[in-house]
Amino acid sequence: MTAALRTYEDINTRIEGGDVVVVTAEELSVMVAEGGLHAAAREVDAVTTGTFSPMCSSGVILNFGHSDPPIRMQDIRLNGVPAYGGLAAVDTYLGATSVSKARPEYGGAHVIEALLRGEQVRLDASSSGTDCYPLHDIKTHVTLASMNEAVLFNPRNAYQNYSAAVNTSPRTIRTYMGTLLPRMGNMTYATSGQLSPLLKDPSFRSVGLGTRIFLGGAQGYVVWHGTQHAPAVREVEGKPIVGGGTLATMGALREMSPDFLRAAFFPGYGVTLFVGLGLPIPILDEAMAAAAAVPDTGLYTQIVDYSVPHRDRPSLGVVSYAELRSGSVSVGGCEVPTSSLSSYAKAREIAERLRDDIAAGRFLLQKPVWTLPPTGGRRTLEMG
Amino acid sequence: MERKKYILSFPSEIVEIPITHTFMSRFGLWTNILRAKIEPSSGGKLVIELRGEGDMIESAVRYAEAEGVTVRPLEHDVAVSRELCVDCGACVSICPSQALSLDPCTFRLVFEPDKCVVCGSCAEVCPVAAIRVDF
Ligand code: SF4
Ligand code: SF4
Repeated sequence: MTAALRTYEDINTRIEGGDVVVVTAEELSVMVAEGGLHAAAREVDAVTTGTFSPMCSSGVILNFGHSDPPIRMQDIRLNGVPAYGGLAAVDTYLGATSVSKARPEYGGAHVIEALLRGEQVRLDASSSGTDCYPLHDIKTHVTLASMNEAVLFNPRNAYQNYSAAVNTSPRTIRTYMGTLLPRMGNMTYATSGQLSPLLKDPSFRSVGLGTRIFLGGAQGYVVWHGTQHAPAVREVEGKPIVGGGTLATMGALREMSPDFLRAAFFPGYGVTLFVGLGLPIPILDEAMAAAAAVPDTGLYTQIVDYSVPHRDRPSLGVVSYAELRSGSVSVGGCEVPTSSLSSYAKAREIAERLRDDIAAGRFLLQKPVWTLPPTGGRRTLEMG
Repeated sequence: MERKKYILSFPSEIVEIPITHTFMSRFGLWTNILRAKIEPSSGGKLVIELRGEGDMIESAVRYAEAEGVTVRPLEHDVAVSRELCVDCGACVSICPSQALSLDPCTFRLVFEPDKCVVCGSCAEVCPVAAIRVDF
């Protein structure tokens, strides 16, 4: 670790005083390339990142408020999409990937988006009834404004890194990595590379319980490590090339916007939610500046063949984000056109919004209570 | 020399008329059929590219209309909603004719109708249903 340059308190004092120096990770890369790391680390107090990607492990905790007579909801549907009925009477969790039986292309993510747009959502719930909750059925409408509580809670967001996908089989396959054309007809990838939050603070020095982030257009928090957080993975130049760290996040749904939380449907796979997330990184020392400044040319992921129907799919090589973003990648002598599934334009918009909010004094950096575990792998599920 | 793309809609009674052959022989046009969906019972649609002198293309269109074919210029039939599109780029590598790309500076989606062959693949894969294809 290099000598300390500043603390969270120093940075927040400068934010409140209006003289903080905050840039996006893209801008920092340019500063470092032009004026060197030493100068940039001393000039810049904080760096912002962003990502806007489909993140399946997302959803909302809702509390509808009590009806009269009251009901203990067990079978719960919102616009026909099943929500969890195993919590207290009028609490539920609606997962982004839960789908309507009648309309499999419509799911929890669409209900979340409808709520954010201020639309009325149909609520159907039933119960076996108890002495204290006598009502058996309720059919009504709710809106985001009418509900008692609405909190976005995402058990896994912002994968540190994610493999690029191809399909070597002779038929088109439909996956959560989008439609993959036969015989490596295309390649898809899903992170924002040089703007990707956890790639820019690869040892999680600023990330843990309580870290304040940009989430869905509002201020949210990191509340735990995400599920499948597994920092002990294959690395290139000190940065993971697969999976790695993940975040569990939380924030007030009512403050969020459909510009940064958007329902998505991938044909043949199902429904998921585009989540916009940005992490501010305090430049506490030169090492943090060095990590935050790495451009797409120095960030890599592996290419994985999704036509292999197994957990551990073979890797066809390693590719840099600069190559992926160029529009085509050469694999074994063939030029394969690439598509991102994560919006780089939105990622940049998020990093810039966060930068501007910090510069204007609207967003203070929060030091986490504890930081995410920097090591550890993941367990698997055995059958039988 | 001009290049134009049209959607020709045929009522069922006239699917037998050799429209494209007449375009070539009578009006001296170069034709390229980009997409066809013709059923003798219900009529059909044809996406066609015509190349030739501008007035000949116009005369050919008038001839087809006189035969009972509805002729519409193509560009209106694939529309990307700027409001809905999130610029993810999922449609880009699916497009067989490089009509969709991300701008190298802004990373926003660029649609070049000239290159589009109205295959519909992009609309099928767009996760937010931002692309509408009428065909
Ligand atoms: S309709 Fe087909 S050719 Fe036209 S833009 Fe979409 S994918 Fe490309
Ligand atoms: S797939 Fe849809 S949302 Fe993504 S860039 Fe294409 S049109 Fe826009």
